[in-house]
Amino acid sequence: MAKEPVRVLVTGAAGQIGYALVPMVARGIMLGLDQPVILHMLDIPPAAEALNGVKMELVDAAFPLLKGVVATTDVVEACTGVNIAVMVGGFPRKEGMERKDVMSKNVSIYKSQASALEQHAAANCKVLVVANPANTNALILKEFAPSIPEKNITCLTRLDHNRALGQISERLKVQVSDVKNAIIWGNHSSSQYPDVNHATVKTPAGERPVRELVANDEWLNGEFIATVQQRGAAIIKARKLSSALSAASSACDHIRDWVLGTPEGTWVSMGVYSDGSYNVPAGLIYSFPVTCRNGEWTIVQGLSINEFSRKKLDATADELTEEKALAYSCIS
Amino acid sequence: MESMEYEYIQLLQKILVVSVSLYLFRKIIKHMASFMNVEKEPLKVLVTGAAGQIGYALVPMIARGEMLGPDQPVILHMLDIEPAMEALNGVKMELIDAAFPLLKGVVATTNAVEACEDVNIAIMVGGFPRKEGMERKDVMSKNVSIYKAQASALEKHAAPNCKVLVVANPANTNALILKEFAPSIPEKNISCLTRLDHNRALGQISERLNVDVSYVKNVIIWGNHSSTQYPDMNHATVITSSGEKSVRELVADDQWLKTEFITTVQQRGAAIIKAQKLSSALSAASAACDHIRDWVLGTPKGTWVSMGVYSDGSYGIPSGLIYSFPVTCEKGEWSIVQGLKIDEFSREKMDATANELIEERSLAHSCLN
Repeated sequence: MAKEPVRVLVTGAAGQIGYALVPMVARGIMLGLDQPVILHMLDIPPAAEALNGVKMELVDAAFPLLKGVVATTDVVEACTGVNIAVMVGGFPRKEGMERKDVMSKNVSIYKSQASALEQHAAANCKVLVVANPANTNALILKEFAPSIPEKNITCLTRLDHNRALGQISERLKVQVSDVKNAIIWGNHSSSQYPDVNHATVKTPAGERPVRELVANDEWLNGEFIATVQQRGAAIIKARKLSSALSAASSACDHIRDWVLGTPEGTWVSMGVYSDGSYNVPAGLIYSFPVTCRNGEWTIVQGLSINEFSRKKLDATADELTEEKALAYSCIS
Repeated sequence: MESMEYEYIQLLQKILVVSVSLYLFRKIIKHMASFMNVEKEPLKVLVTGAAGQIGYALVPMIARGEMLGPDQPVILHMLDIEPAMEALNGVKMELIDAAFPLLKGVVATTNAVEACEDVNIAIMVGGFPRKEGMERKDVMSKNVSIYKAQASALEKHAAPNCKVLVVANPANTNALILKEFAPSIPEKNISCLTRLDHNRALGQISERLNVDVSYVKNVIIWGNHSSTQYPDMNHATVITSSGEKSVRELVADDQWLKTEFITTVQQRGAAIIKAQKLSSALSAASAACDHIRDWVLGTPKGTWVSMGVYSDGSYGIPSGLIYSFPVTCEKGEWSIVQGLKIDEFSREKMDATANELIEERSLAHSCLN
């Protein structure tokens, strides 16, 4: 017997990332090939016609798993009954804008969307914030939706995690599916720390540490980190547009692993509400290594953190603490 | 003399025995491998015009297994023109960044030979778009050159039995040109996309009847992927709680089916452009995946789909055109569904779109001289 459809909200759905994401959701990439879905798409009134065009295309594609499409500019209608919320909509930074201006606009957006979600989403709705500044937008959302369990509010660092796996696979000339257990610590920004100290590669001789196979600590501590941190900018330079394809794909990976569980022996990176693990201040949305089971994530504990890593973990935590202060000052 | 012949025969026998043994050995290994869950060999999929909108929507679908199945590894070959090289490289970077488990390699190139090398599937999205002020003949002329050159490259470098899907408009005629200049590619392997129109028709029926689109089937798109296409509901059905019912019966509005429904499907592309200011990439890419998947993996029992294929004269359609027909697919081959009743209304529509294709073919041939 077919499963009951799951309602998935995508905000900012008329934009680039939304356009890449919605067909992935409709094909079962996010929740599994046997899980029917109903898409809720939200955007702002200037984008209403384009949003309707996306809805028309979703109807035109005759997706077997897609049991309904709601395209709306009304946040209440968008949030009603949703089980998964992917927040792609936000105010992009424009040339000449100060950080405080962008922060200020996004804080208002996420404050009001928090309210709508809290009041209208289904119980146990899982939230993924993609729009930047992702961690702080997620934190604002959490603070203004106190009845949404804090464990249900996350931000996307899976893109950086996948980028790290990709860079290792290219360096070692192995299949990316044979590389695992990279970690992205901290903020989805240029202060993120891509850590491969515990990453491994499947080889004919068994699982080997990445550090051993790369045999170039200078590269791993230098160029590799910078490449992953700045990959977003490199994509914009090449395409003249930001990364929609890979961001959408990573959003699907994030939700799928969260809901369906991570494979045995493998962890992934998710921006989650810090509980003080690894001496990261509690009360931040910080990217950690996590495993997922039965629809819940758990931070991987007990990983050794060397001095180099400690500095990086702390630096990105400091940036998040600053962003949090900036965000609060905008609310006052 | 005799002993030399004898030795020669003995040698041949040995070669024969060894060859047969190797062949059987290989078959046994493959059979065992399928039990042991060993990964399939990757298939190479070419996408031309890959730096554009449709390409950007299509490549992640291919990389996720939507075109060839969730257990089929793929290697993507992406081709575009020199001005798009940086953007194409950006797409390659994103494909790496997405860490797709099924994606075993990416080739991004402006070189048609490199792009076509050993490809098993070729999706021709690249073409010259019509710009304001351009005459039909100008667009046709440019596309004829493109498809003539790509035909050559494919014929010489693609894997044997490569399956070709032409998406770029004018799709049917581009496919015909490709066929004419790649004579060693079996004509049954060259098709054009009308699955988008087919899916649009299913979508319109599902909206009209307020049923799940997965319960609607067996619409037909006849003819040209243009405004003369004929979306035919005469044999379409809907699964209901009381069994399969004909669409015509459930809609109970032949007037609508013969007029508004047809024009909605025919003009849907323009409606999308009006709403989005860009043409339909998402649904075109998805339909391309459906076209290839059903072709390679087979259509479900009792269901047919629409594909633009080389006409053999079925249904009184002139042979020698790429014309959209209802087809079923099995073991990697399509067959036109025969014996469907064609009423007078349908006959006229089918002939009109055939006539347009004949005209396009003449125009295309005139551009070649």
